[in-house]
Amino acid sequence: MDGKTQPTTSELIIMIAGAVMLVASFLHFRFDTSAWGTGNLPIATLLPLYGVVMAAQIGLTKFASVNLPDRVAGFTWEQVHLVLGILAGLMAVGWLLTDTGDKQIGLWLEVLGGIALAVGGVMMQRERQTGAIG
Amino acid sequence: MNKSKLSPANIVIVAAGAVMLIGSFLAFYKLSFTVFGQSHSQSSNGWDSGLFGIVTIVVLCGVAMAAQVALAAFAPNVSIPDKILGLTWDQIHLALGFQAALMMLAFLFTSRGGLSLGIGFWLMLLAGIALLAGAIMRVTGTGSTPNTAI
Repeated sequence: MDGKTQPTTSELIIMIAGAVMLVASFLHFRFDTSAWGTGNLPIATLLPLYGVVMAAQIGLTKFASVNLPDRVAGFTWEQVHLVLGILAGLMAVGWLLTDTGDKQIGLWLEVLGGIALAVGGVMMQRERQTGAIG
Repeated sequence: MNKSKLSPANIVIVAAGAVMLIGSFLAFYKLSFTVFGQSHSQSSNGWDSGLFGIVTIVVLCGVAMAAQVALAAFAPNVSIPDKILGLTWDQIHLALGFQAALMMLAFLFTSRGGLSLGIGFWLMLLAGIALLAGAIMRVTGTGSTPNTAI
């Protein structure tokens, strides 16, 4: 891996969080059902999907040199990461506060991943000097 | 800028935000059952246990969008920054509207077992879609006359 494709801290956080969330989505979310199970799909699946989208965008552009459009619906990719990260963090807190009856390892990992996505999305603004922070 | 007139997009957002808030206090899920030949039903709203938390996010999206529009239009003394974290208000409305609509559609397609959907859910679904529509209208300027509406 040369210096050009070396992922930054925020990119690493997002990619690791996305991978963890994808794996966690197949573990028990509440009781003995995963995020893909009956009663959870698709409301509980949104959170890992946000992580996968964010991680995939970084992975594709960083390691596969895929050329994606500069903007999506008027948002730069840095803004997409910021927005999806914050919304994922919100959903993580939402699930944390929700009385699901039983919180299993998959839910806890999704919550941690969602918060990590928010941190990664915010950190990326500083790393790429978008001017959004500071 | 004429502060006395809201653009159609902002009217949609304010109305949808109000409907979202009202809907959150009405029945989200309903359970009907029969005991000794008598029909009973119970319901839970968006603030009840089991829904509070995840449903609250949708309500917050709607309330935040409506509040920003209302403050910008009717409270000229309140200073609102042009951007938050580098995002314009149009972008924030688009993001929050997208989130509200997506989550309500997700609830629609989530298996509910023996529960049925209540009026509160349907109002919130309608409001979520309206919030996204209003946000898109803001971005595209649909229905607005330049420099006459906010």
